[in-house]
Amino acid sequence: MSDHHDHDHDHDHAPITVDELPGYFDLMETAVRELLVERKLFKAEEIRRQIEVLDSRTPALGAKVVARAWTDPAFKSRLLENGRSGCEELGITFYDDTQLIVLENTGAVHNLIVCTLCSCYPRPVLGLPPDWYKLKPYRARAVHEPRAVLEEFGTFIPGDVEIRVSDSTAIIRYLVLPMRPEGTEHLNETQLADLVTRDAMIGVIQVAYKREAA
Amino acid sequence: MEGSLLAKIEKISGVVPAEGEVPVFNEGDTVVIATRSPIGHYRMPTYLRGKIGKIEAIMRQMAVDNEEEGYGRNAGSKGHYYRVAIPMTEIWPDYIGSANDGLRIEIFENWLEKPSDV
Amino acid sequence: MGTENLVRKLPNDIGGDEAGKIERVEHVLLPWEKRCHALADVLDFHKIINTEEKRRGVESLGAEMIGKLSYYERWIVAFANILFQKGILTPGELAVKMSEVEGRFSDVSSTHHS
Repeated sequence: MSDHHDHDHDHDHAPITVDELPGYFDLMETAVRELLVERKLFKAEEIRRQIEVLDSRTPALGAKVVARAWTDPAFKSRLLENGRSGCEELGITFYDDTQLIVLENTGAVHNLIVCTLCSCYPRPVLGLPPDWYKLKPYRARAVHEPRAVLEEFGTFIPGDVEIRVSDSTAIIRYLVLPMRPEGTEHLNETQLADLVTRDAMIGVIQVAYKREAA
Repeated sequence: MEGSLLAKIEKISGVVPAEGEVPVFNEGDTVVIATRSPIGHYRMPTYLRGKIGKIEAIMRQMAVDNEEEGYGRNAGSKGHYYRVAIPMTEIWPDYIGSANDGLRIEIFENWLEKPSDV
Repeated sequence: MGTENLVRKLPNDIGGDEAGKIERVEHVLLPWEKRCHALADVLDFHKIINTEEKRRGVESLGAEMIGKLSYYERWIVAFANILFQKGILTPGELAVKMSEVEGRFSDVSSTHHS
């Protein structure tokens, strides 16, 4: 059985194409879904729609939020007051009933997010989490030795800067608002958004900027 | 922010809130996380049981106790979640880092207690 | 503590546990994994299986399955178990349906991939 679900290759598996036997769990997913649709508990269309929703959520959305906060102080204060309504101002909907707290990194505080019990993550704004975020080493260690974890990501936070680790467990999700790097005063909002990565919004790295040689 | 707003609403209007609507704890309160050990499903990680922290914020939106939700309860039995701040050195006696480093976690009200002797 | 810790500490409750280096793995979801994620969301929208029930369902798979199954393999098995518990599906119905789905691919089952 195990050889069937161990699909490490990356070609497309179109659901209808009959060129390959689906793995055991792939079959189970199809069977569960079709049975529930047959019982009229939901429509097949709802699954297709939700796949489109998921596909539309990527770290680029979070990066837009961050860049707007860096360039618009009034927006930033609304965002810090209520993360969800701040994102909604930019058209980012919250399909999963969660609230959002935006955690601002400053010269005095560095924030890091984790979910020790499962894999809570600000999916509406960042999309789905990377595998390492869901695996034991990060989840187990981020709350116990955050500085060592940050160093593994190449991030060195001075001892006089407070590390704040937020462990998500219920209906609140977190998004880190990284510090705007120095030397970016001449960049516009779009250029700033290009600097912001997913990992910076999880808090494992800082946003870097190297002025390109002219 | 959220907590002080709730407190303000209560004071100004003088209306009678429904049972459980007024949060038990206020921002800045010292709280102790309970030490009980539920089985089956819980959302209070064991590494924080019995630890002492401070209420940083009250989550304005009331919600169902997620331990009950785990068994299919989707409505009713709502309460408050609190964002609690706990120093890393309180959690881990062997903590390596700054004494200012801390943890933040959202905890349902029935896991929080007032310290018995303060 | 002896066996009681198997009951008192859930397998996914790992904050502070000993663990190795963080390998920065990630992968693009397989189509069935993405469908499984969409299924989870739709089940939650309709409160057929809410998010918290899914978490509980994964925990109750036990440490061995949690350790060996992949993320979405755990989810789909948990969904099946919860649907049985709720009387929405029966184990037999699911087995029959899985055979039927597999049958659609019968002409390739002998050619096969690794």
